[in-house]
Amino acid sequence: MAVAAQHSPLAEHIHPEPQGFIRKYVFSIDHKIIGIQYMVTGLIFFVIAGCLAELIRTQLLNGNARFLTPDQYNEVYSMHGTAMVWFVTIPLVTGGFGNIIMPLMIGARDVAFPWLNMLSFWLFPPAGALLFASFLVGAPEAGWTEYPPVSLQGPPGTTLWCLAIILIGVSSTLTGLNFMVTIFKMRAPGMTLTRMPLFVWAQFATAGLNMIATVALSAALSALFMERVFGVPFYDPNHGGSPILWQHMFWFYSHPAVYIFILPAFGIISEVLPVFARKPIYGYKMIAFSSVTIALLGFMVWAHHMFTSGMAPWLQLPFMILTMLIAIPTGIKIWSWMGTLWGGVIHYTTAMLFAMGFLITFTIGGLTGIMLAAVPADLHEHGTYFVVAHFHYVIFGGTFMGVLAGIYYWWPKVTNRLLSEKIGVLQFWLTFIFMNLTFFPMHILGLEGMPRRVAVYAPQYTDMNRFISISSYVLAFTFVLLFINMAWSLKYGKKAGPNPWGARTLEWMIPSPPPYYNFKNIPAVLSGPYDFGSPLPYIGLEEELEKAPGGGPLPAGAH
Amino acid sequence: MSILQATIEQTLTLYFGVIVFLTAIVQTKNEWGKHALEDNVTKLLLILMAVGCVEAIGATLGFLGHHGGA
Amino acid sequence: MAVAGGTLEHEHGAGHHEMSDALYEEIRGHRLLGFTLFLISDCILFSAFIFAYLYLRNTIDHWPPPGIEGPNLLFGALNSVVLFGSGATMHYALESWKHGNTKLFYRWLGLTLFLGLWFLLGQGYEYSDLYYRQHATWAGSIFGASFFTLTGLHGFHVFVGLIYLSVVWLQTRAGVYTRQRFFGLTAATLYWHFVDVIWVFLFFLFYIF
Repeated sequence: MAVAAQHSPLAEHIHPEPQGFIRKYVFSIDHKIIGIQYMVTGLIFFVIAGCLAELIRTQLLNGNARFLTPDQYNEVYSMHGTAMVWFVTIPLVTGGFGNIIMPLMIGARDVAFPWLNMLSFWLFPPAGALLFASFLVGAPEAGWTEYPPVSLQGPPGTTLWCLAIILIGVSSTLTGLNFMVTIFKMRAPGMTLTRMPLFVWAQFATAGLNMIATVALSAALSALFMERVFGVPFYDPNHGGSPILWQHMFWFYSHPAVYIFILPAFGIISEVLPVFARKPIYGYKMIAFSSVTIALLGFMVWAHHMFTSGMAPWLQLPFMILTMLIAIPTGIKIWSWMGTLWGGVIHYTTAMLFAMGFLITFTIGGLTGIMLAAVPADLHEHGTYFVVAHFHYVIFGGTFMGVLAGIYYWWPKVTNRLLSEKIGVLQFWLTFIFMNLTFFPMHILGLEGMPRRVAVYAPQYTDMNRFISISSYVLAFTFVLLFINMAWSLKYGKKAGPNPWGARTLEWMIPSPPPYYNFKNIPAVLSGPYDFGSPLPYIGLEEELEKAPGGGPLPAGAH
Repeated sequence: MSILQATIEQTLTLYFGVIVFLTAIVQTKNEWGKHALEDNVTKLLLILMAVGCVEAIGATLGFLGHHGGA
Repeated sequence: MAVAGGTLEHEHGAGHHEMSDALYEEIRGHRLLGFTLFLISDCILFSAFIFAYLYLRNTIDHWPPPGIEGPNLLFGALNSVVLFGSGATMHYALESWKHGNTKLFYRWLGLTLFLGLWFLLGQGYEYSDLYYRQHATWAGSIFGASFFTLTGLHGFHVFVGLIYLSVVWLQTRAGVYTRQRFFGLTAATLYWHFVDVIWVFLFFLFYIF
């Protein structure tokens, strides 16, 4: 497995181009089209979930507002969290970026099981429809975590919620399986594991998490379903069940899930920083192995979400220590990325700005994570806005900053257009500033005792809540800027050509957008892709850019 | 459940349990030299199948399980 | 798996027969790894429910809960050996195919189907004893919740397995498999062994432990 097959008949085999609009763009088995479908659908759900967030913030403008009834408020934050976790973040980073970029980076023509890939995508919109249909019958009200006994008594939409997440869980599991086989078996000749781009390492670790953890969630969800619909006692203490059982089963998945969110973003950062610092990535092997370590450790820390649950007290210490241990591989990455920037010639493109912004906001989120890991502190912070601040810093300030960096970085490859740097830089600064203005005060609110998931609050929290809400409206607007930039670029953007950034990974060696077969000839790989200043480590790419519309690639190292 | 029924069950379980156990062990030995992914998975599953036979034999003879007192 | 619908099979005409040996071997490698990963993820599914069972069982002192005798050990042991036996017969079926003996292949496959069906009927008998005589229902207690859910999930896997084996029978009749290219048979055998091995754990957890 360490050395890719020298001769791959499958790689030589170019299947005929699909014909007709439906086979080309709707029911496509092409990983690039499927990836774009994931991105578009994910961004649509992002807008919907973002609107739900603004409903939350509007209710919280006043401590006793009646903009939403308490039940409506519960529905809104439950659906906001659910949609963001399963219908935005995971699809974008795995189904979206993973599908479009990973096969190109390893020199493959597609993923291992293209039909399964198409099935994975087409489970996504129906699952989303099923989820949002719950608003018609009473959406779930117990948060995205749906703890029993509240979730057992919840509105009918809770049952739809179970089914919707199971459905999208199948999609994720299949994608994870697909990516694992693809990365194990379909790398170009000469691309050993330690010559793979770090984005691929990230997708590899994430695929393992996706494949293993999601199935455990399906068990928890189907048990909840069986109890709600058939009365089978798993979680109801009145019938011998245990609410803590739900928490164990739910968090056994949901903790690894957060590593599913962040690892691909780490991968994107690892790609963007070297290109725009014109320097090799610092500590390639450390970053690669730390991704796997984080994935493995991620399975061992779930009960840090349960320190106040009433679970057996002796569990607190081991979970605290294991949680703190994850800071080590994560810290290794942060230092390696900083080492990458050190001494580099920095090109402040929008992608680079988002990557550098990531370093700041993700680190803040990581530090508050350590604060939460400490049991004595967590007893005070659990269930407060401190937790809300933490996870928005790591998900928005981490994953989303990575997603935005990735969009600005790879948009030219997918569309053959450059996004406007003017709008991009403006968007970056507004997003970065208002992200911090929205979420940083939540740390203080939490430490001062404001609980989360409350529709009304005590008067002393009013000023800060108002400040947060106003900031959040501006933050929402910055995404409008992103969409304007995308539309502008498609109409007026400069043609990008194959390699506008002078990058060295394989996706930049072929035309933009890539032809349906990706590579005319699968290249052989001589070394890793980060040696800026050395000749490109590939053999056999001479024909790729013949008759390409945008001209040839920039020589490596030129800018 | 009648004594006759129990005795029939025990006899059949013992008889077939031993046969299947020996089959599993012998077949694992035959596959031992092969190392492809499917061969390794097969060997693992055959060994576990043998363990299952031991469980069933132990249960039927009374060594394992609540009625046997293990 | 030589399942019709894969693009490569379609392009090459009748199934996988026209493609080169090297291409077949490569695709087979992908499908074997994918299938093995699928079996691993299926293990996780059972593990999650087993965790729930052990957790719930740990909340009370006496198992099964008062009023329920639980499943019958001797009957369960016989039924288990029937299922394990079907694993052995399936192994022999595959070996017969590899050694060119088609008639024996069908005999062993038929025996596997027969034993698998016997197992399911045995489970049905076990369920009816629990339900009608002991009044242990799925929703009535945490015993019912754990026992019927886990053995039911397993029984569902056995049922799907029987369908899978029947499909394999029909495919073999239709000439899909050759002496050299029979990945579908290998996958079916691995699946059947997997179903067997899950039962090794469930039998231990519910009948012995």
